[in-house]
Amino acid sequence: MNLSQFEAWLADIDHRIAGVEVTASNLNKRRNRVDLPADKLVLFLEAVKGEASFVHLSAISCVDWIDDGEFELVYHLWSYELNQLISAHIRVSRDPGEYQSIYDLYRPAGFFERDIHEMYGLYFHGAPDMEKFILTEWNGIPPMRKEFDSEEFVEQNFSWQEYNPEWLKELVAEGGGVVIPCEEQRFSRSVATDHGIDQQHSNWSGCDVSSKLCRIDSKYRGGD
Amino acid sequence: MRAENYQQQSHPPSNQFELNFGPNHPGIEGNYALQVEVEGDVIVKARADGGYLHRGFEKLMEQRLWIQNISLVPRICVPDPSPMEVCYSMAIEEISGIEVPERAQWIRVLQLELSRIAAHLFTFGGHAATTGMYTPMYWGVADRDLILDLFEEFTGGRIYSIYNLPGGVRRELPDGFLDKVSEVIDYIESRLPEYDNLFFRNAVFIKRAKGVGVLTQEKSLEMGVTGPNLRATGLAFDLRRDDPYLVYDKLDFEVVVEEAGDAWARTLVRRQELLQSIRIVRQVVAALPDIGGELRAPIPNPLAWRVPAGESYARVESSKGELAYFVVSNGGEKPWRVHVRGPSAMHAVQVLEELVTGGRVEDVAQTMFSLDACPPEVDR
Repeated sequence: MNLSQFEAWLADIDHRIAGVEVTASNLNKRRNRVDLPADKLVLFLEAVKGEASFVHLSAISCVDWIDDGEFELVYHLWSYELNQLISAHIRVSRDPGEYQSIYDLYRPAGFFERDIHEMYGLYFHGAPDMEKFILTEWNGIPPMRKEFDSEEFVEQNFSWQEYNPEWLKELVAEGGGVVIPCEEQRFSRSVATDHGIDQQHSNWSGCDVSSKLCRIDSKYRGGD
Repeated sequence: MRAENYQQQSHPPSNQFELNFGPNHPGIEGNYALQVEVEGDVIVKARADGGYLHRGFEKLMEQRLWIQNISLVPRICVPDPSPMEVCYSMAIEEISGIEVPERAQWIRVLQLELSRIAAHLFTFGGHAATTGMYTPMYWGVADRDLILDLFEEFTGGRIYSIYNLPGGVRRELPDGFLDKVSEVIDYIESRLPEYDNLFFRNAVFIKRAKGVGVLTQEKSLEMGVTGPNLRATGLAFDLRRDDPYLVYDKLDFEVVVEEAGDAWARTLVRRQELLQSIRIVRQVVAALPDIGGELRAPIPNPLAWRVPAGESYARVESSKGELAYFVVSNGGEKPWRVHVRGPSAMHAVQVLEELVTGGRVEDVAQTMFSLDACPPEVDR
């Protein structure tokens, strides 16, 4: 199959598999987007692999659209013959959150499906291995789901500590250790001139480190 | 692994033993484990055990501004961090329709190729160490350090450069930098014959690597192997040539291919890619002085940047293989979803499990390192 045949093949695909819609196609940029109903995915993949030589499953990405109550699964397929990428988009319900594995068509799917199950809790029927891989110590809800708030988790499980060690107190007493607003930081050209540091930042001038930083900076900036 | 998660085999045959490779093991860059069952010296079952380097980057990125994530992404792969930030930036540029100025594209190529040379030198040094040869390891790491010195001057960071922005690069090259690059590149090229004599033509290494961990082309395609590991099976495929990004279509280089598909062939592919990267760097060094213009395209205020709703799948060829970022924006000031497809996710899990099964215990490290697996890419 050459590129023009593929273009025709892609244009005709919705007649052969009902519901498949080519939503974006840019053959020059080698990116094609296809949207289809979830129950047609295996049919589509069989066609795209068998007829159009898309043998490489680059990735399966899962996107959590919590407001729609759906997971979007995106199957990125690459053809080594045509040098084209097809991203096939399907949506499955978040609840109960299950879909079928495509491991028998594409073996890399084994890793991606296992990963999605672990991170999103979406179960793939027929996958060879749905064991935990990364989060073996984790018993909470799958963390990549949007309802999992990692900041709240930190607040609940860890306590904040005052951090004011002696060395920092000494620094502050000397006039250092203060947060410098971004417009006054050392990479700002108006502040760190080749002649040193401006008078208004005299709290830096007593410190060896700052003059060193300034030297490096002026070296990087070249002749200006 | 905690004690309560350890599942003892109920009735193992008396001649079978369980052996843990890792998580700290010289056979791999970073912490990663392989649990193998052995019968004598022969491995009957292998199971990859990752997660030791999981830092939840994909979740963290959903909670930070688009621009803040630039400082997170390089940490996903320590030995070869530059492709990460370039790829992430490319994805955002694609969604928001930003055209990167030509000079920035050339500088990015320079950064990517220097990073590739550093990564291959590191791998090559580590691979030698797994074979019991420690001198090449010192050489590889020391020569890689020269490139890190360049990066320090170039970007401000030795490992994590954080030099790219969506739309271009941060700073102009320092004065006289291209001459220094040429010097270092010339030096590394002059070292290659010495590497050959010490390592690549070393009878001990050839004997240890030939015929170990053989991956056929059919199996590679079936299992999603990419990068140098795929090229070592005879398929000339390189994203730089076949899905070109930046200015790679204006550059002259060869896609290196070996036929055998074993650990030896994979090492040779990387050895020859060093030379190709040196060629590319020379072309960039020659071309850059004549390419003027801006360093970055104008972007909105990065602290209040709402990238328009959309999605993009950006891919680059990293030193390990096909690296891809799937970035989804819902029009907010933070990414809705960033999926990192690390090349090692393929060859460090399913492929590794399959390759070592049936082999011998002493070949595990050899196979692991010849695949050039990068565990942080798997764990993210």
